Amino acid sequence: MDKRIEKLTERRNKVLGGGGAKRIEKQHASGKMTARERICALLDENSFVELDMFVENRGNDFDAVKPDAPGEGVVTGYGTIDNRLVYVFAQDFTVIGGSLGEMHAKKICKVQDLALKMGAPVIGMNDSGGARIQEGVDALYGYGEIFYRNTISSGVVPQISVILGPCAGGAVYSPALTDFIFMADKTSNMFITGPAVIKTVTGEEVTAETLGGAMTHNSVSGVAHFVYQNEEETIAGVRKLVSYLPLNNMETAPYIPTEDDVNRVCEKLDTLVPENPNKPYDMKEVINEVVDDGDFFEVQPYYATNMITGFARIGGNSVGILANQPKSKAGCLDIDASDKAARFVSICDSYNIPLLTFMDVPGFLPGVNQEYGGIIRHGAKMLYAYSEATVPKITVVVRKAYGGAYIAMCSKHLGADQVFAWPMAEIAVMGPDGAANVVFKKDIDSSANPAKARTEKIAEYKEKFANPYKAASRGYVDDVIAPSATRQRVASALEMLKSKRDAIPAKKHGNFPV
Amino acid sequence: MKKFNVTVNGKVYEVDVEEVGGAPVVSAPRAAAPAAAPAAAPKAAPAPAPKAAAPVAAGSGTVTAPMSGTVTKHKVKVGDSVKRGDVVVLLEAMKMENDIVAPCDGTIKDILVKEGTAVQPGDVIAVIG
Repeated sequence: MDKRIEKLTERRNKVLGGGGAKRIEKQHASGKMTARERICALLDENSFVELDMFVENRGNDFDAVKPDAPGEGVVTGYGTIDNRLVYVFAQDFTVIGGSLGEMHAKKICKVQDLALKMGAPVIGMNDSGGARIQEGVDALYGYGEIFYRNTISSGVVPQISVILGPCAGGAVYSPALTDFIFMADKTSNMFITGPAVIKTVTGEEVTAETLGGAMTHNSVSGVAHFVYQNEEETIAGVRKLVSYLPLNNMETAPYIPTEDDVNRVCEKLDTLVPENPNKPYDMKEVINEVVDDGDFFEVQPYYATNMITGFARIGGNSVGILANQPKSKAGCLDIDASDKAARFVSICDSYNIPLLTFMDVPGFLPGVNQEYGGIIRHGAKMLYAYSEATVPKITVVVRKAYGGAYIAMCSKHLGADQVFAWPMAEIAVMGPDGAANVVFKKDIDSSANPAKARTEKIAEYKEKFANPYKAASRGYVDDVIAPSATRQRVASALEMLKSKRDAIPAKKHGNFPV
Repeated sequence: MKKFNVTVNGKVYEVDVEEVGGAPVVSAPRAAAPAAAPAAAPKAAPAPAPKAAAPVAAGSGTVTAPMSGTVTKHKVKVGDSVKRGDVVVLLEAMKMENDIVAPCDGTIKDILVKEGTAVQPGDVIAVIG
C-alpha cells in the first residue's frame, strides 16, 4: 500500500483511540460511555460522519511541548435519527478532561454553523472539566462564540444539551441557552461555582450531587428537563424527544401514523372528575386518554408538578400539552409553574407545534413569598407567551377556571382558536364563596340571619355562575362537550386549524417579561 | 485580610476575605441550601417520561407543607410505617384537599401539626425516621 495512505490510517486510528485504553477504562468504570460510544448510541447505525478529526490546539504559554489531545477533546459531526439529519458534538473526557480550548470550541462552532445553514437540530453531549485554563482568554473566546451561536440559532433549529459528566462554571450557559437539558442521574452535575468555592464564600457545606446533581436541577431549580437513570436511557430519551420536533422553524414535526382512532370515545373521562370540587384527581389520566396510544412524553416531570407540560400526538401529529394538576398544590399557578409553562409555550410556538391546554385552575397562589418572589412578573410570562403564540391553540376547561388564572391558561381572550368546556366547568371571576361575599354584601349584612343568608347566596351564585354556560353565552367557550368526546373534538379542531395563518406585527422582537 | 462573621441558619461561620485589589466583594449568605433532592433515582424508561421511583432505602425525612393552608386530617399515626408516596395528612389549601405524601419509606416518628392548624410553606408537618 502507498505509505501515504498507511500514514492516514495511522493518524485516524490515533484520534479514534481518544485518550487511550487506560482513561477509557476509567471512564467505563465510573458508569460513563466514551464520546464515540455516546454518538453511536444516539444516531442511526452507521450514519455518523465525523468532521475535523485532525484539528489540533496551537499550544499555550505554559507547556513547553504542545499538549497531545487527539481530536482536541471533542468529537463532532452529523448523522441521522430516524433518518432525519442532526448535528452532534460530544466532549471527550478522556482527552485532557474534555477541557474547552480555542480549537475545541472551533470544532463545536463549525457544527453549529452548519446546523443553522442546513436547518437541522444540534445535540451537544457535555462531559468536560471546564475551561482549559492554560489557554487563557482563548478559552473564554471559545465559550463566548458558542453562546453567541446558541442564541442566534434559538428558535431556528432545536438545540438539545445532554449532560453526562461535569459541566461547571461558564460551561453551564451553553446548555442553559438551548431548548432542552437532559441529565444522567448520579454521573452528571451543573453549577456556576462548586462546593469548595461555596464553602469559602458563604460557609455552606454541600455535596456536588446536592448542589447540582441531576435530581436537583430536575426538581428544585428547574434548570434541567429530563433525568434518566443511566446514559443509555438518557440517550434513548433524546431520540424520543427529537421525534416530536421539526428539524427547523420552517417545517412541521413528522407525522407518525397510528392505529388509535381519532374518533375513539373516552368513556373513562365521563366519571373521572369528582362531584365535590374540593377533591383532587389525576389530570394525567385525562391526558393519557386523549392522546394517541396513551403515550405522553412529559417535560420536567419533577419540577413545579402543579403544572404539567409535555409532548404527545393526536391523529399522528405532535401537540404540546399544558395542564394544571389538581393533585399537586391544588393545581394553582405559582412562580415556578408560570415560569415552566411560559418556557414550554414559547418552545412549542418556535417549532410550529400546536398547543393543547387542559384547565383546572383555582387561581394564582396567594402569599407573601409569592409576591416577594415576583409572581406578578413570572405570571406575566405566561400571558405573554400564550398571547404571542401563533400556532393553533386549543383549550379544554375541565373544571375550575377562576379569575386571572383562567385568563392565563390560554383563554379565548389570549387568542385560543377553540375553547371547549366540560359540563362540570366553573368559569367565573372568582370562587362562589368569595364572589357571593362581595356581590351580595348588602343583602347578607342587612339580613336577620347573615350566616344563613350567606349560605343561600353562595348557593345562588354557584347555581347561576359556576358553570360553563355563562362564558358560552358570550362566545368565550365555543362549545360545551361531553368529556368522553374530548379526543374526537380536539382532533377535529386540530385538523380544521392546520391551515391557520396568523401573524403578529413586524417588530425587532417583543419585550418578553423575563 | 478582613474577617467576617456570617450567620447561616443560626450557625456562625468566621470567614476571612482577602482584598486582592478593587472593592472587595462579599456575597450575602444565601438562605438554606436547596432541600435535598428526592433520594430515589427516578427509574426512567427510554420510551415515555421517567417512571416512578426506584426502590428507596428506608430512611429519615421530613414531611413539609408545600403551600400555606390548614391541616384538616391526619391519615397516619405516630409509629405507623409508611411507604414513599403514602398520604400522611390532608392539607386544605386553595379550597382543595391536597394529599401530602411521605417523601421516603420509614416510620412516622412525630406529627408536629394538630388537625385544624394552619401551616406556612416549608413548615415541618411530620418526621419520618
